[in-house]
Amino acid sequence: MNLTREQLQHKLLRIFEENFEIKNPGLDDDLREAYEFDSIDAIGLLVEIERIMGVKLSQEKKKQSMDIRTINDICNYVETIHIARS
Amino acid sequence: MNNPSRSEAVIPGFKMIKPVLDVVITIIAWLYYTLGFVLFFSPFYVAVSLFSKESERGFQNLNRLFYHYFFKLVAGITPGLTFRLSESVRSIHSSVVVCNHVSYLDPILLISTFPRQKTIVKHTFFRVPILSWLLKRSGYLPSTTQDGLDVLMIEQMQKMDTFLQERGVLFIFPEGTRSRDGRIGRLNSGAFKIARQFHAPITVVRIRNTNHLFRPGRFRFNTCVTNPVSIERLGVVNPDENGQILSTTELMTRTRSLMQADP
Repeated sequence: MNLTREQLQHKLLRIFEENFEIKNPGLDDDLREAYEFDSIDAIGLLVEIERIMGVKLSQEKKKQSMDIRTINDICNYVETIHIARS
Repeated sequence: MNNPSRSEAVIPGFKMIKPVLDVVITIIAWLYYTLGFVLFFSPFYVAVSLFSKESERGFQNLNRLFYHYFFKLVAGITPGLTFRLSESVRSIHSSVVVCNHVSYLDPILLISTFPRQKTIVKHTFFRVPILSWLLKRSGYLPSTTQDGLDVLMIEQMQKMDTFLQERGVLFIFPEGTRSRDGRIGRLNSGAFKIARQFHAPITVVRIRNTNHLFRPGRFRFNTCVTNPVSIERLGVVNPDENGQILSTTELMTRTRSLMQADP
């Protein structure tokens, strides 16, 4: 994965619009409270994250994703996994 | 409709013995549910658990058989009770099935209908010993990721695509709770998000009259009244239309309109 944080944010915003019908959420908006982004959506998002990163996430990493609340949280999550892998 | 206040005339000749039959039939049903499970079914569950390579499929099939015989028994001993299930319902597969909810009997009636079935179960049931084991081994999904059920939810959702492709049925009561007046309440979006995510058709069905057999707030079965319990297929909503994926809101609107349609 060779993406800057800005590119990652851009990709995520597109995924949110296309897959979850959430248009332009603020980077620190609580997705659950503001957009009813639930655990079913979160699991769908994991598939997309795996696609972006080109890796299969471990169950432990997937479990951690259930606590994600904001777009910035997702960026941090992806970056942390990427750093750990590289 | 599933009108709870409809007239329930006792079948002629049964008026005197109805109270006794209500109790006796309820006891027989509960005996099957408890002792019948332990004596006749639990050995098969254990065998499937230990020896089957496809234990989830085996558990689902055993669940279907257990409830199939439950309803066969209840129909056989309850005067006035009949079950009508059309071939168009039995033949449903590879679909998210969405249904109205009027009685605690509804989920087990749907389990008895489909050979390969999954459903979303209230997360608190996953705390009950034995039941929790059965639910997990059957591949059923918890309603939330609370209580450490996140891993289970993730695992089951990851397997959903294959399950649906292999003729599985995921049935869901989108109202989340039983309707007391027969009207369709507010729909939760979960079923529609899953259908959208996996491009699975939503088959809408309607259960009638289970609430007249096992009435909300009552312990006894209501026997000796004419009671045709049925499941009807009302229609299909496809998330993919002309190369476009319909929004969750649109899926919910179309499903609601089918659920509310009069016969």
